[in-house]
Amino acid sequence: MTSDPRPLLEGRTVSKFFGGLAAVNNVDFAVYPGEIVGLIGPNGSGKTTLFDCLSRLQKIDGGQVFFKGRDVTGARPYQVARMGLTRTFQSVRVYRKMTVLRNMLISHQWRDTSLWRMLRPSPASTAHRARQLLEFLQIEHLADEEAGRLSGGQRRLLEIGMALMPDPDILLLDEATSGVNPTLIETIKDRIRTLNAQGKTFLLIEHNINFIADLCSRVYVLNYGEKLAEGAPLEILQNEAVIDAYFGA
Amino acid sequence: MGTGPPASRIAQKAKKKPPFPFFAPVYSLLAGWTGLAFWLLLLLLLALYPYTGVSSVALFVGSQIFVLVTLASNWNLIGGMTGYVDFGHAVFFGIGAYIMGILVTGTPLLISPEWGFWQALPASGFAAALFALLVGLPTLRLKGPYFSIAMLGTLVAMREIARVLRPITGGGVGLNLPPLLNRLGDYYLMLAVMGLVVSLIWWIQRSEFGQSLIAIREDEIGAEMRGINTTLHKITAFMIAAFFTGIVGGFWAWQNTYIDPDVVFVEARTVEMVMMSMLGGLGTVWGPPLGAVVIYFLQDLLWGNLSGVHLLPLGLLLVVIVLFMPEGILGTLGDRSSTSLGRLLSRVGRSR
Repeated sequence: MTSDPRPLLEGRTVSKFFGGLAAVNNVDFAVYPGEIVGLIGPNGSGKTTLFDCLSRLQKIDGGQVFFKGRDVTGARPYQVARMGLTRTFQSVRVYRKMTVLRNMLISHQWRDTSLWRMLRPSPASTAHRARQLLEFLQIEHLADEEAGRLSGGQRRLLEIGMALMPDPDILLLDEATSGVNPTLIETIKDRIRTLNAQGKTFLLIEHNINFIADLCSRVYVLNYGEKLAEGAPLEILQNEAVIDAYFGA
Repeated sequence: MGTGPPASRIAQKAKKKPPFPFFAPVYSLLAGWTGLAFWLLLLLLLALYPYTGVSSVALFVGSQIFVLVTLASNWNLIGGMTGYVDFGHAVFFGIGAYIMGILVTGTPLLISPEWGFWQALPASGFAAALFALLVGLPTLRLKGPYFSIAMLGTLVAMREIARVLRPITGGGVGLNLPPLLNRLGDYYLMLAVMGLVVSLIWWIQRSEFGQSLIAIREDEIGAEMRGINTTLHKITAFMIAAFFTGIVGGFWAWQNTYIDPDVVFVEARTVEMVMMSMLGGLGTVWGPPLGAVVIYFLQDLLWGNLSGVHLLPLGLLLVVIVLFMPEGILGTLGDRSSTSLGRLLSRVGRSR
């Protein structure tokens, strides 16, 4: 991967405390344009909390977050979303009572949406893009289903589709493969590669080490909220400290 | 690409059951432009109704029903579509009523000259909307039951404030408005307000703004993370709902010619709004108006035959709705697999 010297998404000494517990402690973090970066670590190591800090869902207690060179430490989630950062969630968040298509439509790019447009039904161009993405994710046959009726794996695909709707610059995927069957995992992997080739940057939280090793150029390892290691996937997998953290001494 | 998703079979199995046969054409007609066309036709018929030589009592009943439909539709915007179950929505009714009372009597505040009805009516709406902004900013941050309780608290607090602010509100003695009876005028005014509000809800529901409200109801964090300014959208919906509730409150005060804290800031009025919306179908456009009409006639019937205990069957009805048809009349008929009453009915239909 070619690395721009300026990171697309950067966290400087990010800290987040829950009471006395440091969920994320002084983590420096950078994702460069065009990269696929992995974030791994044992359960409770602070991966999702770091995601929440970067996507502004959680207020951070220390440090700063930069996106596209702008300080977004105090921004609200919808603001970074409009700037081009979208994400999925470990426990899938879709609008269950709405159809798959409507889920997609309402996830369009809200930046520069005029009041007049908001007072109208979604335009045909949005519907066209939604259907294209559903096709790309191989769930176009479910367009008129209620999202609450989909299987877990299908919901994950839908959520990825919703994250793609606004044409973001970076996607943060939180355990996109958990609960998904092996065939579908291959589909997701394939789609991430295609999108990355088209210029999208990815940050992935994963427990599926093969998935990470196949896709990522760089991997961060968290343990007890602190950065344990950072480097290429194969180096990381041979790192003593990482093996310790995962399998115990 | 070649490997077809095997999970598609699961979705096939979970396919929605179609609406009941007799209801299917009606249900599809209610969606979209035809629904609005029917609504406008109904409004036209209601506008011609007084020309059939009806009594002033019938006109009064008409305007009462229009009031209920308007209230139910309004409540549905925040409680049904946005998912913020407002147990204190009558507070906006009360504020509208008091603004009307204070402005047209003039005496308590020594406003001179007193305002006319047509000047005071928009003021009732705007005052309620402004109050919604002030109250909504803190309370709409709360989720689920916490929001409901906070709004209930607001209602009770406003009732006591109205009681204490005697120089302005007349305190417990209340305010007497000029008794100017105009049943025909009342009928047409409330018909217009009802027509406007329900059409507005129809418009909102199919707009991206309305869809964003439903998205907020379904998953607020997800909506925010996908670029929707949830605070702005919630407050806007809340203020619209409050505005028209305030208008209705102002009208009611004028029509009733007397207000005091205990007749305008009443929990029962909120419960009524909730019940009408739920009976008809929460979050749908046509459900709450339908529920309002049913509840009105039911109340009338119970009042006449069971005075004294007439609230009991209504309470039981609420329990039955929540237990067996949480999606209301329209929801149950539209998707019979979604509620237990719908499933029961389709089972009965099959065994025959």
